[in-house]
Amino acid sequence: MTIFATPSAELDIAADLLTLLRTTDTEPRPNPQLEAVTLAVAADLPVLLWGEPGIGKTAALHQLAESLDLPLTTVIASVHEPSDFSGLPIVGDDPAEQGVPLAPPDWAVRLVRAGRGLLFLDELSTATPAVQAALLRLVLERRIGSLQLPPGVRIVAAANPRASAADGWELSAPLANRFVHLQWTHDPEVVVRGLGGTWPRATLPRLDPELLPGAVDFARRAVTGLLTARPTLVHRLPGSETRKGGAWPSPRSWDMTLSLIAFATAAGATRDVLAQLVRGTVGDGPGLELLAWIDRMDLPDPEVLLADPAGAELPERGDRRQAALEGVVAAVNARPDRARWDAAWELLVRAAETGPPDLVVVPATTLAALRREEWEVPVAIERLAGVVDVSRRADRVPAGAGAGAGAGR
Amino acid sequence: MSASTEATAPLSLDREKLYAARLRAVRARPYLATALFALRVVESRRVPTMAVDRYWRCYASPGFVARTSVDELAGVWVHEVAHLIRDHHGRGDRIARREGFEGRPADRLRLNIAADCEINDDIYGDGLDTPEGIVTPALLNVPKDELMEDYVRRIRLESLPGGLHLWLDCGSGADGLEREWDLGPDGADGLSEQEQDAVRFKVAQGLAGPPGEAPAGWRRWAEEAFQPPQPWRELLGSAIRAAVGGAGAGDDHSYGRPSRRSVALPGTILPSLRRQPPRVSVVIDTSGSVSDAELGAALLEVAAISRAVGGRRDLVRVVSCDAAARVADPLCAAEGITLIGGGGTDLRSGFTTALRRRPRPDVVVVLTDGQTPWPATAPPCRTVVGLFPRPYYRLRPGDDGYVPDTPPDWARTVRIS
Repeated sequence: MTIFATPSAELDIAADLLTLLRTTDTEPRPNPQLEAVTLAVAADLPVLLWGEPGIGKTAALHQLAESLDLPLTTVIASVHEPSDFSGLPIVGDDPAEQGVPLAPPDWAVRLVRAGRGLLFLDELSTATPAVQAALLRLVLERRIGSLQLPPGVRIVAAANPRASAADGWELSAPLANRFVHLQWTHDPEVVVRGLGGTWPRATLPRLDPELLPGAVDFARRAVTGLLTARPTLVHRLPGSETRKGGAWPSPRSWDMTLSLIAFATAAGATRDVLAQLVRGTVGDGPGLELLAWIDRMDLPDPEVLLADPAGAELPERGDRRQAALEGVVAAVNARPDRARWDAAWELLVRAAETGPPDLVVVPATTLAALRREEWEVPVAIERLAGVVDVSRRADRVPAGAGAGAGAGR
Repeated sequence: MSASTEATAPLSLDREKLYAARLRAVRARPYLATALFALRVVESRRVPTMAVDRYWRCYASPGFVARTSVDELAGVWVHEVAHLIRDHHGRGDRIARREGFEGRPADRLRLNIAADCEINDDIYGDGLDTPEGIVTPALLNVPKDELMEDYVRRIRLESLPGGLHLWLDCGSGADGLEREWDLGPDGADGLSEQEQDAVRFKVAQGLAGPPGEAPAGWRRWAEEAFQPPQPWRELLGSAIRAAVGGAGAGDDHSYGRPSRRSVALPGTILPSLRRQPPRVSVVIDTSGSVSDAELGAALLEVAAISRAVGGRRDLVRVVSCDAAARVADPLCAAEGITLIGGGGTDLRSGFTTALRRRPRPDVVVVLTDGQTPWPATAPPCRTVVGLFPRPYYRLRPGDDGYVPDTPPDWARTVRIS
């Protein structure tokens, strides 16, 4: 104590140096990982961050807590005993009469008193099994001893991937099913720039009140649409050893997915963020199928395209454009009549004139095959000459022979 | 674009020819259609031939397109898109980071060659012409059907054969190293990582569907695209650690004796940490179908893992399930493990022998190729099965063939390959 009683010039200089070191800038930089955590936390779903130690999970959570205006409580699970989470048994005067109360730790009392906060359970995977068992009750039932955490408290946990976790604890399938699993990785570029004095500042998603009803409707359509088409995806226990302890599809996790889609939609989040959330909730395979389904929902409605071929907006990306055109041809096939057939040709011409012609070839061939005897070939087909050329060159057929779209002639 | 100083008028890119080639590629390889159509063509005079970047843009040199036939261009399309589908840039980055040759062009060239070897041994033929002067495993005298990760270790630049001047520079999409012609992440029409995954997923689904004509290399890719095989050592280790770490074994809290913290907190009951080393019994299927090398590797692994989790030598027991315990003997002698002869090739007797021992094991680890009946009920302790893969796993549905019982649900099964 006496050392600090007299002001030390040396320490003052050291303090100056520390201040300089700590003075850093921030720059806006999109951070899909952080956006995904924010949305899951906003949706009140327990999040589990998987990441190697020391890559800035805690720093990211500080930023998250700040932006959500929640006080952050970090509890490092591995340095605690089970009773710190399940409550310490306190022996009173007459245990037989009054029972033995389970006293909660101070941080829990403070959390409950504040009524709101972000509870970060770090190093979940290096705690002993008994501590983990006690923690699970906290995560799932939100109870610490006799204390019930108020609804304003949100829980985020972090764990090291199995490959790098020395004691190799992993989640059981029922438990894994309750978490949104997010992979946390570091971007070397961000770290280098940060050490150079500029750290990224993520703009976090804000929910738009106007979008809420539409978001719920969209989420319901997406999930029910996929599960109607693929009922086997409703529940599928992880089979192989590699998938244990991760996300897998069940009615519970689909329900979580539904919330997350609604939140991501209402926040206007990018597809990348949505993909992380969805794959982290129902697993990679079902998640990607859902995303492919949403992609298809995003494609323009074939009937709308057929109704107004001149004003149609076709997707820019080649594979999506081809899918849209095939959808149009399929719609004509489902309900063939002369006007629809003509409109489809007009769409194909438009597609060939505004994008690569090769992806028009297959839809054009299919459409040509739909022709009825009495239908005359529309004039528009003349404008598909480029497509026919491309098709011919690809077919190694000498010029003059009918090929591709020419079959309709 | 500033090529006006050239003597001849600069060629413009013959997009129609390029698209015709793409269409031919789609016809030859329908399962790649989504990926091929997702590529965006960018004209570039700096690219030697054709190249891709990690955002799924395809750069094409007008001169190269002009002097190459539609047939060969179709092959190049498939080649370039294969780099992207198989995530060679991402894998290249990871290899570079692991091996520590970040940004060294010579090593990135090795990565590109390794990636080409992985692709070129199974994409050509069957409607696609093999272009002149491409790199193949045969040309480099390395085995075929391996992965980029394996090839990169085998390839030495100084020992490359001559005549590789026709080398195709496949761009940053193939090896992860940025090129001067790359438009970068902010350029137009790039695909985000999730969009790339979605395209890969569609391709994988197309391959996994009806048994098609897709070559084995593509099918293998599709099977593993979103579930990359993990090293079996880590999986087996984690399965055993999880088994011995459960209640009743290993480190855990107990109220048997007071905690040291109790002194400071009168009136409070605290648990203390006690160690109970796990007892592990290893049942080895030593029937002739398991090779010595496989068995040796797996047994060494189990011994090392159980020691690492605190088991002493005397707590690891080995039960061999066949008379022909050739490897196991010397290995166990070296490891200080006693090998006890078991009865017959039926693993059920191995279980019985292992469980009859007193004190009873906390964990039974079974190393087998799975060609055996299994006990009908779960044994009263945790069970980990290390399964050696056998060709019959590759039998397609509908094929007549011997399909043995799979390991039961109560055991955690790790495939050892």
